[in-house]
Amino acid sequence: MSAIEDKDILEIMHADLQRALKKPRKERRWAMAIDLKKCIGCHACTTGCMSENLTPPDIHYRPVKEEEIGEFPNTGMRFLPRPCMQCDAPSCTQVCPVTATYKRDDGLVVIDYEKCIGCRYCLVACPYGARSADVGQYFTGDFHGKTYEVENSGEYGKTSKRTSHWRSPIGNARKCHFCIHRVEKGELTRCTTTCLASATYFGDINDPKALITKLISKSNVIKYKEELGTKPMVYYII
Amino acid sequence: MQIYGVYVPEKERLLNYFSLFKQGKGGLVVYLAIIGLVFGGFGFGSIFILGHGHTINTSSLVPWGLQISTYVYFALVSGGCIFTNFIGNMFFHEKYKHLASRVIFMGLVTAIAGFASLASELGHVERMYLFMISPNPTSPMFWMSVWYTADISILLVEYVNIQRHVHSKALLYTSFVIPIITYCSLGSLFGAVGTMPYYYSSLLPIYFLFSGFLSGNALCAIIAAFHAKATGNMKLIKPFMRLQKIALASVLVLTFCRIIIGLASNLSGYEVFRETFFQNVIFGIVCALVVPFAILMNKRTTGWLIVSSVIVLFTQFMARLDLVVEGFRVPVFRAYDIPERINYFPSIFEMLVVLASVSLVALIYIVCEKTGLFEIAGKETH
Repeated sequence: MSAIEDKDILEIMHADLQRALKKPRKERRWAMAIDLKKCIGCHACTTGCMSENLTPPDIHYRPVKEEEIGEFPNTGMRFLPRPCMQCDAPSCTQVCPVTATYKRDDGLVVIDYEKCIGCRYCLVACPYGARSADVGQYFTGDFHGKTYEVENSGEYGKTSKRTSHWRSPIGNARKCHFCIHRVEKGELTRCTTTCLASATYFGDINDPKALITKLISKSNVIKYKEELGTKPMVYYII
Repeated sequence: MQIYGVYVPEKERLLNYFSLFKQGKGGLVVYLAIIGLVFGGFGFGSIFILGHGHTINTSSLVPWGLQISTYVYFALVSGGCIFTNFIGNMFFHEKYKHLASRVIFMGLVTAIAGFASLASELGHVERMYLFMISPNPTSPMFWMSVWYTADISILLVEYVNIQRHVHSKALLYTSFVIPIITYCSLGSLFGAVGTMPYYYSSLLPIYFLFSGFLSGNALCAIIAAFHAKATGNMKLIKPFMRLQKIALASVLVLTFCRIIIGLASNLSGYEVFRETFFQNVIFGIVCALVVPFAILMNKRTTGWLIVSSVIVLFTQFMARLDLVVEGFRVPVFRAYDIPERINYFPSIFEMLVVLASVSLVALIYIVCEKTGLFEIAGKETH
């Protein structure tokens, strides 16, 4: 790992990303690794994500669970960031009646905002609580929202303003999509870049040279609720 | 008057009823139902115009609330009407035949009322056409839509057949098998969700079938009781009384099994069964099933049949709400201000949707009854 520590982690992951983007999409497999020992619970990933995707109230694509552990005087804090697990066997895509949510050939689970009927079955089926219903609320409490609240978030690279009926996410299910609109432009996910402790790693696990591939091959890596058989693509380093 | 062999209310009787209505002699329930529809329409309008964020209390934590419960309730009542029709035809033909067209008609009307409630819960109801052009065969919801369509189609054909005096055994059996698949699909929509222990069970589709039969039969029993009172033919209520006892006993067994399985498990999410144990026993078993059963065992009059059926209809509605909402009581992931237990209380707009659905069923049935639709059909049926 010394070679890794010599260089800036973001620079390494950026180089990995550029390499992955040169491959055909079906040969990539995006994944994320979160080092729980490094996470300081600053919520920079959560707020970064919210500003990137312009998420409305009560919708967090990447919340961070905080837990107090131990008993006084031997106490401590434990943090668990939870993005969408981008499962290889997702329960959400299985239950969507109109295939509005589906797994792309690079493994990302996405939502077609123009197809979602807003039945919320995927919210019920997701064992991670990673999906939210956009019911059309605004932080300002305004009925139509302030100008900056209705701006195009650029999610999936094609959504338009919240005021647009057909492409607006209002009425739909929403979730983390590994900032696919950034990744396809050669930028790392927002949570990766905003992480103060460099605890979040992102990359293509089909690339044996990628940093994330090396990290997840260690024995101190677990997956959240792996026993459910959803094959999550978010790895936790413990 | 007939259109392609199907009876429709005579124009003269419709006009007569309308003039009675204007004079204030339309019947109290009709006026109440109209007021209910007006308020309910306001609720519907508000939900569609203002949006879910400003009108309803469902959220990412409680994705399904009162409207979905109402849909499930009416869908099951509709299914129950069909089961009652089948069993009535098979085992109580003579006593039942006068009520066949009413029962099937109620099956249709309740299905429509349920769908109206569902429509108000969906984020984009206008995209429902995607079920046809972009189906997902792995989704229980997709299959439910397929079978629900088949179910309503069968109901329509059965209704037309009854009115045209066509008696088809094949159709009768089909109208029994299709609803079983339909309401099992509805049950599996909930029962197949492994992430929600309160739902997750192979018992749930069977529970749905029997509780649907109970609710549907209770509605038919009320109609039969009023019809028996009006005609003085008390024999009409016997099949419904007997069926209601069977349905109550079956649902009692299934509810008991469901609670026992829930209490025995240690999986995360199953604690809801422990936390709601007394509520389930007192309201879900004693008030909802034992009391109506005891009434039917001891009193055999039309009045008590109506009382028992009203209790069943109300408690089954509460049971559907409990089933849908309690599933979300234990959140699957907690962060920030998400409490350990989620409490949900429907908004006034959600309640208005229920009011609209109930009023719709009551109004359509009573107007059709008062204008003689079933009277004409019944006289000549079979």
